[in-house]
Amino acid sequence: MSMRPDMMSNKERIDALLKGRPIDRVPHFPFIPGFCARNVGYPIAVMYSDAGKSFDAQQKTMEQYGFDWGPLYGYASYGTWEFGGTIKMPEGDYEQAPAHVTFPVQSEADVAGLQLPDVKKAGCLPTAMAFSHLQEKSDTPISVICGGNFTIAGNICSVETLCRWMLKKPDLVHALLRLATDHIVDLVRYWVETFGADRVIPQMWEPSAANYILSPKQFERFVLPYLQESSEKILAMGVKHILYHICGEQNANLPYWAQVPMGDPGLASLGEEVDADTAIKYFGDTCVIIGNIDGKVILEGTPESLYRLCTETIAKLKHAPRGYMMCSGCELPPASPPYNVYVMRKAINDAGWYE
Amino acid sequence: MASEEKTREILKAIQDAVVGYDEETCERLCSSVLEEGIDPHRAVVEGLTGGMERVGELYNSQEYFVPELLLCADALNAGLNVLKPHLKIEDAARKGKLLIGVVEGDIHDIGKNLVRIMFEAAGWDVYDLGNNVKIERFVEEQKKANTDIVALSALMTTSMLAMPKIIGALKAQNPGVKVLVGGAPLSQEIAQRYGADAYAPDAVAAVKRAADLIG
Ligand code: B1M
Repeated sequence: MSMRPDMMSNKERIDALLKGRPIDRVPHFPFIPGFCARNVGYPIAVMYSDAGKSFDAQQKTMEQYGFDWGPLYGYASYGTWEFGGTIKMPEGDYEQAPAHVTFPVQSEADVAGLQLPDVKKAGCLPTAMAFSHLQEKSDTPISVICGGNFTIAGNICSVETLCRWMLKKPDLVHALLRLATDHIVDLVRYWVETFGADRVIPQMWEPSAANYILSPKQFERFVLPYLQESSEKILAMGVKHILYHICGEQNANLPYWAQVPMGDPGLASLGEEVDADTAIKYFGDTCVIIGNIDGKVILEGTPESLYRLCTETIAKLKHAPRGYMMCSGCELPPASPPYNVYVMRKAINDAGWYE
Repeated sequence: MASEEKTREILKAIQDAVVGYDEETCERLCSSVLEEGIDPHRAVVEGLTGGMERVGELYNSQEYFVPELLLCADALNAGLNVLKPHLKIEDAARKGKLLIGVVEGDIHDIGKNLVRIMFEAAGWDVYDLGNNVKIERFVEEQKKANTDIVALSALMTTSMLAMPKIIGALKAQNPGVKVLVGGAPLSQEIAQRYGADAYAPDAVAAVKRAADLIG
């Protein structure tokens, strides 16, 4: 089918959205590294180990399927390697992203010896920086992706250890969250010094704080203050927007998330667990809403069911006060049928125009 | 020898110690079970396991979350360590043998660990292979441990695709072995399609399904 011609370039559309000016249609936001690797015939591991190939695969796939934002580098197990543990790159038919192998903190005593990573050298950061130089060259938004504070702490000592210590040794949890928070601030400062505050849009993914794991009270006590602190410090550097990926079931945490400053506008990326009205209630006035097409429907749904889901979601979120970008609720499953990925863009074409 | 009333009081206190994730008290009460001449098997079933059943209910009703549940399991294990050496051989015979693991490509192991805890609490012998477990490893370890059931957990739509292959390989080696599957992207319908013998939506249900499977 032929798409209706755009009236803005991708860059103009995203710039206008972030400045609160009118745009021609709903943008299509990518969360798709594994799919891009398969699309161009690379092993998924190169998306995380080779900045050039990762960028290339994403750029080609985004052009093919009509995504608007630009390539992104990052993964949810961030923090393990950077703080001194080991990770394994994805391999084989079923692996989708890097996975932790050994945690830097194995005992209570290890916490005291833990040091802040050198943001120029640690773990994946040299590759992330090389990737951001490619973002700079191609004039797409420059991201630096890391975990949210709690997810990084979980990636340092394992989520279960963190959970046990929350009740038995809260001081250790606070010590880890302090390090995670200081690291996030150091990391973003390095990116800001390299590219300028205007160009950098940090992304923080916070799956391990989901209500599958924590109670809202635990979120309020252990997660919220650190999120607020790092956000405030990042915004004070002159950064305009922070993207938070509020991963998984976090409905009971949303009243707290709404208290985290994310910029003007902020960027709130939500999973399929959060319905459109709730998203607008908590984030509509302050954030562009990003999400929340269910990955299971993208992978296993018929094109018709996916099209219906996308057009209905667009109808509900397109007029969110600060805007909406359509995206999968979390990373798009790498084995998704290519036609379904096209269907998402088709839904924007059919239902996403602003007149 | 404690009176029935005293026995019940201690067993109830053990349950409360598990629910209140009070490791020390649980350990102390289990020692008092031995001192008072109470049947240790009864203390395991009515005290420790009974407590963990209440914990499972609190988790399912979202009064407890993962941190509480993990500490309750620690309290249970502290008590079990005291009682185990005193169980008679016929009482120590476990409900069944279970091999559990998260499938290849997937490191999401919190749910699997909760499932393991519930099986252990219910008196099963559990062999835990951890996360990101290759197909061949499930097959080898099932043969070695000769378990009644293999329990497969997957949290990603990508990794759950390994399940039909694992099930096929397990059944080819041992047609009698039963396979239980679970994890967020699974459903009854997918489980059937993959050739699993049962599906459970949560850790408490997993123990019930497994008990049904071995009759
Ligand atoms: C055998 O019988 C049975 C029976 C019942 C069984 C069973 C077996 N197994 C489980 N059950 C059942 O009983 C349990 C308790 O009653 C329940 O277990 P659950 O495991 O469901 O529940 C636990 C108690 C708590 N729940 C959890 O622990 C999972 C929570 C969510 C938010 C989550 C977390 C925390 C994490 N993650 Co990730 N993560 C998500 C999750 C969202 C979700 N929808 O589940 C999910 C699973 N993650 C996802 C993704 C994409 C990823 N994650 C990743 C990483 C991580 C962390 C490391 C940060 C962390 C895991 C920490 C850990 N050690 O487990 C990456 C993968 C890493 C890898 N190689 O595996 C990465 C690929 C992200 C990336 N690009 O880096 C998504 C998968 C999408 C898909 N393809 O299907 C995801 C669904 C999020 C989403 N909103 O879409 C039941 O399911």
